[in-house]
Amino acid sequence: MDPNPTRLDDLMLNDRGFVFDPNTGESYQLSTTGLACLRSLQHGTTAAGVLAGILEAQEVDPLTARWDLDAFFWEIKQLGWL
Amino acid sequence: MNKQPYVAPTIRRVSQATANPQRLGRTPVMEAIDGVPVAGLLGEHGGPLFVFSEAALRAKIRDARRAFAAVYPKTTFAWSYKTNYLNAICRVFHQEGSLAEVVSGFEYEKARANGVPGYRIIFNGPHKTAGELRRAVEEGAMIQVDNRDEVLALAKLADELDREIRLGIRVHVDTGTHAVWSKFGFCAEDGEALRMIEWMTENTRLRVRGVHCHVGTFMLDAGAYATAADAVVRLALAAAEAGCGTVEYLNLGGGFASRARLHGQYLPPEQATPGFDDYARELCGTIKRLWPEGRDLPELLLETGRALVDEAGYLLTKVVAVKQRMLAGGCPALAAYGKGGSNGTLAAYGKGGPVSGAGGNRRNAVVLDAGIQILYTTAWYQPSVYPAAAPAAGMQPTTVYGCLCMNIDVIREEAALPEMNVGDAVVIHPVGAYNITQSMQFISYRPAVVMIDPAGRVHLIRRREVLEDVCGPEQVPEYLAETGEIAEEARVSVT
Repeated sequence: MDPNPTRLDDLMLNDRGFVFDPNTGESYQLSTTGLACLRSLQHGTTAAGVLAGILEAQEVDPLTARWDLDAFFWEIKQLGWL
Repeated sequence: MNKQPYVAPTIRRVSQATANPQRLGRTPVMEAIDGVPVAGLLGEHGGPLFVFSEAALRAKIRDARRAFAAVYPKTTFAWSYKTNYLNAICRVFHQEGSLAEVVSGFEYEKARANGVPGYRIIFNGPHKTAGELRRAVEEGAMIQVDNRDEVLALAKLADELDREIRLGIRVHVDTGTHAVWSKFGFCAEDGEALRMIEWMTENTRLRVRGVHCHVGTFMLDAGAYATAADAVVRLALAAAEAGCGTVEYLNLGGGFASRARLHGQYLPPEQATPGFDDYARELCGTIKRLWPEGRDLPELLLETGRALVDEAGYLLTKVVAVKQRMLAGGCPALAAYGKGGSNGTLAAYGKGGPVSGAGGNRRNAVVLDAGIQILYTTAWYQPSVYPAAAPAAGMQPTTVYGCLCMNIDVIREEAALPEMNVGDAVVIHPVGAYNITQSMQFISYRPAVVMIDPAGRVHLIRRREVLEDVCGPEQVPEYLAETGEIAEEARVSVT
């Protein structure tokens, strides 16, 4: 067991993108990409690595993906997960 | 490696809506209309684009005629021009045997230009000019007289022409389901309408041969027509009893509901909207019950519009921007002061923690390339918004904005849509009633309209507007006629 779990580690996710944050009691719904991003972050992938993963798997230009990912990071930072 | 379609990374706080996906229902994809692919229609004609299904138009009027003919063979439908007066649409209904029902001189001219003879036109409405009345009388139109001043104008015209004029009298009835439409005609219930019929008979050469009552619009209670039919039949019989002659037709107007959904309507249209058989049973059953045995039943005229055309019309439009809309109470700035709406509420239970309003308390929103200036009926109804391609992800509550630079331009406050991307096409339905006739040129051009015939061929029935359509009627005073750059001295310095 990790002696110093982070807020990110605390999150409970299912395969349909449902997230429960036990620290607040709040629940969230992620898009499929949002779920993949969050899982990558939980596994220690860097922001650059997450972006690269999206670009490799999906039909999107780098600028659009970067914009959306930055917005996503901003939101989960607001939640205290990063 | 084949890449997948892009889905943006998003997070939404689970609300009542997302916690219960069943609440959103299933939004089917609408990839084609009458077998014609939406993508092809947009590719060929551009967007936004109104599309009408001729097969649906014909199926509806045939279904309506079947339902009424089964219980009251002497029923005739008149196409309500104001509901949709695109010539192609009108001509479909005229081909199906419908009269024309018009409410202005303009609509009268349109019906005549569509080849409808005057005697097959019902001329309704509260404003008919002297010239329009004269033409209608000379051409044998069925004028439905609305008010005292029209009675007097027609009486003078009858004297001038030295002949009787046969007409219908418009009345209003309290059916208990609607605000009484007392703007129109005379009251059938307090004796006013009967007094007017008697007065016309005794003092003029006007002869009342029809009674007209339009109880309201989008009548979800078919029983209202029983109430209205009761009142007009009693009036017709009282008029005959008073020696005013036989009423030959009863005109029960329109108002049958389409399968649109009102704002705040709980039941879906499939459950809430009566069928033509329901209206026919209430209306015709009442007439037959009250009409004296042995006397010929009067002809029944109906001016149904919305129920015949609404579902045949679609608007094809595209997503031009994707947004996240902050919901009420989700403002981080407010949350910082303990006023973060739902977060604030949670904070009272110790669950506020670091959760700010920004975190997930947003809703998907899309901006379309069409706005409420061409979807006038969205003020009262919530049309369905269908993706035109198979969704890549699950449904989310989504606010659908129009393209106007106006904050009121909201087509749907909350529609169930998958994650949308710029360029994705959506189909808005039903929009066949009133949106064409009530649309306004505002900010952008009005779109083209096509009709798909029963063989699947696509016909342009109204081209997209161009600058000349808007500026053609304008005139510029001579002193403003010179064009050119703004005079240097008129420029405002911003330094």
